[in-house]
Amino acid sequence: MRTLGLYIHIPFCQQKCNYCDFYSFSATDKAKEDYINALCTHIEMEADCYKDCEFDTVYIGGGTPSILDPLLIERLGLAIKKHLKLTQGAEFSIEINPGTLTEEKLHSYKKIGVNRLSIGLQSTDDKLLFMLGRIHSLKDFEASYYLARKNGFDNISLDLMYSLPNQTKEDFLRTLKKAISYKPEHISAYCLKIEENTQFGKIKDILVLPNEDEEYETYLDLVDTLEKNGYSQYEISNFSKEGRRSRHNMKYWLSNEYVALGPSAHSFFNGKRYSYNPSVQEYVDSIQNGIAPKKQFEEENRYSLSKIDEYVMLRMRLSDGVSCEEFKGLFGKNLLCEYPRLEEFVAQGYVSCKNGAYSFTPKGFFVSNYILTEILSF
Amino acid sequence: MNEKQKYIRNFSIIAHIDHGKSTLADRILEYSNAVSKREMEEQLLDNMDLERERGITIKARAVRINYKHKDGQDYVLNLIDTPGHVDFNYEVSRSLNACEGALLVVDSTQGIEAQTLANAYLAVDCDLEIVPVINKIDLPSADVDRARNEIEDVIGIVAEDCPAVSAKVGLNIDQVLDAIVEKIPCPKGDESAPLKCLIFDSHYNAYLGVVVYVRVMDGTLKAGDKIRLMSTGAKYDVVEVGHLSAFGLEKADSISAGEVGYITASIKTVSETRVGDTVTHDENPTNEPLKGFKEALPMVFSGIYPADGAKYNDLRDALDKLKLNDAALSFEPETSIALGFGFRCGFLGLLHMEIIQERLEREFNLDLITTAPSVIYKIEKTNGETVFVDNPSNYPSPDSIATAYEPTVKSSIITPTEYVGGIMDLCQDRRGIFKDMKYLDSQRVELYYTMPLNEIVYDFFDALKSRSKGYASLDYELAGYEPSNLVKLDFLLNGEVVDALTFIVHSEKAYARARRIAEKLKDNISRQLFEIPIQAAIGSKVIARETVRALRKDVLAKCYGGDITRKKKLLEKQKEGKKKMRRLGSVEVTPEAFMAVLKLDDSDK
Repeated sequence: MRTLGLYIHIPFCQQKCNYCDFYSFSATDKAKEDYINALCTHIEMEADCYKDCEFDTVYIGGGTPSILDPLLIERLGLAIKKHLKLTQGAEFSIEINPGTLTEEKLHSYKKIGVNRLSIGLQSTDDKLLFMLGRIHSLKDFEASYYLARKNGFDNISLDLMYSLPNQTKEDFLRTLKKAISYKPEHISAYCLKIEENTQFGKIKDILVLPNEDEEYETYLDLVDTLEKNGYSQYEISNFSKEGRRSRHNMKYWLSNEYVALGPSAHSFFNGKRYSYNPSVQEYVDSIQNGIAPKKQFEEENRYSLSKIDEYVMLRMRLSDGVSCEEFKGLFGKNLLCEYPRLEEFVAQGYVSCKNGAYSFTPKGFFVSNYILTEILSF
Repeated sequence: MNEKQKYIRNFSIIAHIDHGKSTLADRILEYSNAVSKREMEEQLLDNMDLERERGITIKARAVRINYKHKDGQDYVLNLIDTPGHVDFNYEVSRSLNACEGALLVVDSTQGIEAQTLANAYLAVDCDLEIVPVINKIDLPSADVDRARNEIEDVIGIVAEDCPAVSAKVGLNIDQVLDAIVEKIPCPKGDESAPLKCLIFDSHYNAYLGVVVYVRVMDGTLKAGDKIRLMSTGAKYDVVEVGHLSAFGLEKADSISAGEVGYITASIKTVSETRVGDTVTHDENPTNEPLKGFKEALPMVFSGIYPADGAKYNDLRDALDKLKLNDAALSFEPETSIALGFGFRCGFLGLLHMEIIQERLEREFNLDLITTAPSVIYKIEKTNGETVFVDNPSNYPSPDSIATAYEPTVKSSIITPTEYVGGIMDLCQDRRGIFKDMKYLDSQRVELYYTMPLNEIVYDFFDALKSRSKGYASLDYELAGYEPSNLVKLDFLLNGEVVDALTFIVHSEKAYARARRIAEKLKDNISRQLFEIPIQAAIGSKVIARETVRALRKDVLAKCYGGDITRKKKLLEKQKEGKKKMRRLGSVEVTPEAFMAVLKLDDSDK
């Protein structure tokens, strides 16, 4: 049977982090409830489209999904189970912001089948956490983490950020080692990018940020440290213990299908990419009026990137890279004939060729956009 | 002199830029009913878009106005417009030679400026009757008395009863027309003498060929006559003659001494009809051509390349078209290793250069890369040969040079006194030799410097404006060649010379210039996967170096919630930028980076 991923966006936060430009904001209890009700109705409305599909991953992301009351999360979980088919052993993740988690919430997660937690730790340095605008301290995180373990969650991912203002490479490596010491199953580490419409964007001129070379050194050490501690890199920013990759996130890079619900959520279904407008108001109003929210389809031919280019671009996010054999099977063409310049970058150490697949080396990952614009034919 | 000439007045309007020359011309046309208000388009005489936008007149134009004076007589007033900028000084002087008088427009809020003086002196040289007109008296800051005094003290002409007007609102325009009739002498040619016409402008018309604008000095010309252009000896059969109305050409049976008009004679390019040349009859020619003819010689050169190499032919066609109407523009094909195929273009001056570049970009929709402006150097070689070099890349090697000469100019700068110090520093820094300084009044000073043209083309005008908050004005004229200690400065990226960046500089300034440009290259070249050494060298001696460090990190946006579209956008944007890059050897440089290097920043000013 055809399998799909399901993504559900919870655009609420207690407060907006200083670096964040995703669609999220703080909201009243009433607004949250209206939204969850709308989501449930939306699931019901759409259910028919997926009657021939099974969902093997569910991902509740945000925003801060853990801000939701146990009642609301259960209502959402119930709607998912009632209207959609989940496979046996489906991966079911939810994002947690330390400081919003309670034992009661964990019980609710258990109840609806959540089996993977992604905790936004970001840093183990309280000063940096404060500066990032996070609502938690290291202590809050530890409390949440141990509570989750106590309640039997055995698949936990930690999110970290590096290249933060005033943060040296050594500072970050300390955070990393501390994070490793909790023995999570999965670690994501993202390089801070200053976006225009954020608090950081407003004050970017006075932020003391590491330079490119320091970021590069940090990244290489990050990859190295994690590898040495049993976390292998499977994507630019993602690392896991054996068998603990995020199956949901993998769908993005493997060009597998996923359906996403909620404002600003992006789907890939029936070969088409579409999203919903980033407006909770519009989303809820529409559903309350019995109309499914309008899908904004990625314009046809808007991008000169061909399907093949897109495939290569996405696969190259992964450490497994592009397999020559799979490429030939899919497109009937020889990978090197299509992208002859790959070899050039192999020679320079940015790309490696192992087991019949081309993939970026860590140093290549860090300049992957540059190299992709060189090798892709668009 | 005959009756007809008694009622003709040939005049020009001269002024500093922005003092309201074109607006006054419009009002004169309007007032004398040459153009009705309804038909009036703002600034009729300036009919190139660019002229209107910049508020300057690039090419001369002429128009015939019928005016009934208060004495009851009908007069013919021929207004010959002149370019208002120093680059076109020669054209100005030719236009003035076609007149007996000139209106000297002075902005009552600004007083006399460098070009007011330069133009007034030109008019005096041409023996013209100068009629001052004080303009912009509607503005609150107008100071008519001060302007009057300046005209009398500085130029030395009587301004006591000169018209004070507002061309903008149309105030006292009648006084200007009266002054033209009453003060400017009528022409005094001999209709029966051998033909002598002065060419003061020409333009290309797709149907008629070149339309030649002339002032008939002596004799009479009609359709069917065989004419000869005296500088080249070229002969043509006149197809049509006539007068120049505000709306175009008005055919006439003949044009004769004292009149201003046009000739068409199936002439194919404007470069055959040189401004200042004399037209005469092929049979019964005049003994002597009119004085003062010279060819308009380009003084400033620059390489012009299409940003997209595939547009080379479009650029050539565009230059051909511009050349049809601009005899002073010169161009010849040039190849640069860095920039590909393009043209070395010669211009009268910096403004002329900017205008051409802008017209190429605007009217022909071309993206251009232009190299730093250069001048012509004269080199006496050790083997006795003398060569002229207009492209820095062709500069001979130092050991083959006996003496190098560079063109110098006599410049005059008028500035409010408070900026004198800064401007003198600037001139000093640009190797200027102080000649004289005159107080025009208690607030303004005129400075005279002799300066290498090479320093002026290197952004001197911008620096001057910046040091005087825009108040200083500049005028210059070529003053011959002077021996100079010049060196050729090359720039190398990744060990390879980028020919398009090469320039000639005085040896004392080489180090500072080299360092600054190397720094700019460093700041403007985006990082690539390898380190890029930048070197500035004189011959094989490296005098400055910088390094563009290798790219080690891209923007790694978190690809959240499967938003692949955003990722695609980012990649496409990056690719777009890349497509515009120029490959200089193994290094890729954006055209913007290239241009940025040629522009000076504030620290240079």
